[in-house]
Parts: sequence; C-alpha cells; structure tokens
Amino acid sequence: MMKDLRLESRLDTLTNKIEARKVQVYYGTNHALKDVDVNILDKTVTAFIGPSGCGKSTFLRCLNRMNDTIPACRVEGLLTMDGEDIYDPRVDPVQLRAKVGMVFQKPNPFPKSIYDNVAYGPKIHGLTRNKAELDEIVEKSIRKAALWNEVKDRLHAPGTGLSGGQQQRLCIARAIATSPEVLLMDEPCSALDPIATAQVEELIDELRAQFSVVIVTHSMQQAARVSQRTAFFHLGNLVEYGETGQIFTNPSDPRTESYITGRIG
Amino acid sequence: MNNDRHIARAFDRDLEAVQALVLRMGGLVEAALSDAAAALEDRDDALALRVREGDTAIDALEEQVNSECARLIAIRAPAASDLRTVLSVMKIASSLERCGDYAKNLAKRSVVLGTMQPIPGAAGSIRRMARQVGLLLKNALDAYIARDIGLAEEVRQQDQDVDQMYSALFREFLTHMMEDPRNITACMHLHFIAKNIERVGDHATTIAEQVIYLATGSMPGEARPKGEAVISGDAG
Ligand SMILES: Nc1ncnc2c1ncn2[C@@H]1O[C@H](COP(=O)(O)OP(=O)(O)OP(=O)(O)O)[C@@H](O)[C@H]1O
Ligand SMILES: [Mg+2]
Repeated sequence: MMKDLRLESRLDTLTNKIEARKVQVYYGTNHALKDVDVNILDKTVTAFIGPSGCGKSTFLRCLNRMNDTIPACRVEGLLTMDGEDIYDPRVDPVQLRAKVGMVFQKPNPFPKSIYDNVAYGPKIHGLTRNKAELDEIVEKSIRKAALWNEVKDRLHAPGTGLSGGQQQRLCIARAIATSPEVLLMDEPCSALDPIATAQVEELIDELRAQFSVVIVTHSMQQAARVSQRTAFFHLGNLVEYGETGQIFTNPSDPRTESYITGRIG
Repeated sequence: MNNDRHIARAFDRDLEAVQALVLRMGGLVEAALSDAAAALEDRDDALALRVREGDTAIDALEEQVNSECARLIAIRAPAASDLRTVLSVMKIASSLERCGDYAKNLAKRSVVLGTMQPIPGAAGSIRRMARQVGLLLKNALDAYIARDIGLAEEVRQQDQDVDQMYSALFREFLTHMMEDPRNITACMHLHFIAKNIERVGDHATTIAEQVIYLATGSMPGEARPKGEAVISGDAG
C-alpha cells in the first residue's frame, strides 16, 4: 500500500464520518446505484470519479438527502453519519443539510444580493449575534472562496449578475459560511479558470483540517491533486475505492485503469 | 498491463516512440559491449576507437528519451500503467547510458592493454563474460518489450552467474599479480574491466526489475539472490 505523506502529516484519526452500506438508488425503474458500500473518512478529501451518468451526483445527493426532493427517487440501504442513521424519520433534513453542505454541479445563487446569498445560512441557523459578526463571516467565506477582490465593491448587487465562474465561487462561499461538518462539491471547478481552480483547490486543502470534503470531478489531475481517497464509479457500481496515490499509480480494477488512463476499455 | 488503446491515439504513438528509442539504445549498447570485448581479445585498436566514438550516439539517445518523457508528462499527465511506462523508460535509459560508458571504458583500456604483455587466457575469459552479460541485457530488454515477468525473473536469477564469473576472474588476476609483479598494471586494467562488466549485469537486473514494476505496479520484494559473499580482499 502506498503511503500518502500528506495524510500522515495532517491526519491523526482515520475515523469514519459517513458510512454507506448496500445503498441502492432507483429513479422509477432505473436502478441508478447498486450495492454501494463506502466509508467517507473524517478530515479527509474523498474524490468521486467516473464516466458521465455513473451515479456520482446521485450518491452525493444521498449524503444530505437531496434525493428526497426528487419524487421518483427511492433510496435503500443504510447511510450513517457519526454512527447515526441519516434516513431516520426523526432526522430533520434541513438540519442535516446545515451539517452536510453542498455545492452543486450548476451554480445556483439565490435571486438575492451577493451578501445575502452568503449571509442566508448563518442567519437562519442563528450562527451570529450581530451584524458585525455576520459581516465577518460573509467576508471570510467570500475570501476563502477566492471571490473577495472581484465582489467587495458590489456586495449588494444581485448574485445572479455574476459570471458563471464567479457564481460558482459564490455558491462555495455560501456552502462554507455555515461551517458544515461535511462539504459535498459536485464538479465545483468545471466553470473556473486555472487560477480560481487553484484557489478552490487550496481552499479544499484548508477545509480538510476541519471537515470532511467529498468532491466529484471529471479532472483526473484534480482528483489526484486534492484528494486522499478516491472512489471510482461505473454504471452505478462503486468499482474501486482506495488511497488516491494507489489508485492513480496502480489501480487494481481494469475498469479503473482504462478510465484514468483514457482508454476505451 | 492494459493493452487497450488510448482514446487519444497520439498518446499511444508518443508512448511507442519513446519506447522505440530505448530499444534502439539497447541495441547500440549490446553491440558496443560485444565489440569492445572483441577489440580486447583481437587487439583491434580501430574497433576500440569506433566503440569509443559510438558512445556519443548512446548519450544523445538518452537525452532524447529524457526530453520526450518530460514532454509526455507535461502534455499527457500519464497515470497508472502509462505513468509506470514513462518512469521505467527513463530508468532503463539511464541504466543503458551507464552500460554504454562501461563499454567505452573497456575499449579505452583495451588500447592500453594492447601495448602490454598479454595475460594468458584473460581476454578470452573477459569476452565470455561480456557475451554472458550481453545476453542478460538482451533478455532484460526482450522481457521489457513483451512485459514478460518470467523472463525478467530469470535475468534476476542469472545475474548471479555473472557475479560468480567476476569472482573467479578476480582470483585469477590476483594469482597472476602474485606470480609476477610485472603483471600488476595489466591485471589492474583487466580487473576494472571485469568489474565494469559485472556492473552491466547489475544494470540488466535493474532493467528486469523495471519490467516487474511495470507489469505489477510494485518492485520485486525479495532482494535478488547473491552469488557469493564478498571475497576477502575484493576490490569491488
Ligand atoms: N432527477 C433524476 N431523475 C431521473 N433520473 C435521474 C435523475 N438524476 C439522475 N438520474 C439518472 O441516474 C443515473 C446517474 O445520474 P447522475 O446524475 O448521478 O450521474 P453522474 O455520475 O453525476 O453524471 P455526470 O458526470 O454527467 O454529472 C443516470 O442514469 C441518470 O439518468
Ligand atoms: Mg453529476
């Protein structure tokens, strides 16, 4: 097994934050995820890779119950966070989503000001006592999302007036403003230029000190750069899951090999 | 190993091209080694000179392999078996370049030895050893082309025969030196030659290990068997 030096230096615990056992997802009769078993480690970046339509976003949405909002969608199996069943009827999905934040594949700012987009979460969850504290969280979050210099002079302009890449970073700022325990990112950099991408990757690396981050990405380089664990999905199956360095130098499944080396397979 | 083709076919072409360069290097090194040993036995200074001059081509090929690999890494960001291919190509090229230097050194010494009283049987023994090592090198490269772990493993095992040949020669030269001190200069040259050929064998082993790394993703775990413990008074 290859050792990841970054993991050794930064991680003292390898505790499971989220555990998935025999997870099945159906959209009507479409069996989109089959028997997915995986442990998402705390304070670790986990990358989900795989061809389009293999179920990465679907699995991500299972983790904060976003699939509940899709009528045809049915989730089976066991999903726990810190040992507690995420799908327990007593769990309030809204509370869950405060702990499990998400950045979506398509940027979706609220039709509100830039400031309010970021302030919204901390406000409804009562994370601040006054305007000064809220201002501070907003600024810190926007700075971390590498957007501050571009928007600091127009915080009260609508978020929807930003460019695609700026909107994506705004959504990242919004997601981290509530200090979630788990951050799910669905292709967060697909609309970003290389500099903003590097800044978001730096942010992800920083966030790992406090949270567990799950990122879906179509960039193999990005998955290799930012994650310590990688999961490869194919046709609704979790084909291979392991230490990122291992997956990218010596994957054990030929389907993983074909995918990451760009072969027809 | 993955034999499927890349979606980007230029990637396949690049990988094949750089591997072809390494094989060309291998051919040149095998020839240099065998020519240098022949020059020694036949006291053929012209052939020795050609070997020395030929080394520039080997060095140039290594540089070309390195720059091609750097380009491949920058442009293609190879992963998994592609990455291992690139890494092993660079390592093999560096081994072959060293082997080329050893052949060149042999050729140099052969010219010097040509001016001295021959040591009976020595040049013949050196040539046999060079032939044996040349075969190891060839097998290692064949194993590389075919990604043949079995053959690579054989090379690793057979290198101990070379180590034994070296030890035997070392004792022989020692005897000659003790018998007649006037043989010392020639025997020292012959000893360096034998030692260098033995090192070529080590490089063949390194190449065989790269084949195993390439095919399996990990270096062979067990240290290769050692033919003989260090001989007392062994200079190497
Ligand atoms: N809302 C939905 N309603 C019905 N089927 C869906 C829905 N979302 C996803 N699916 C189906 O589930 C399967 C997995 O889709 P999913 O969006 O999880 O793939 P993905 O791996 O995220 O792909 P991409 O890389 O293109 O984003 C696909 O067959 C898709 O058609
Ligand atoms: Mg998706």
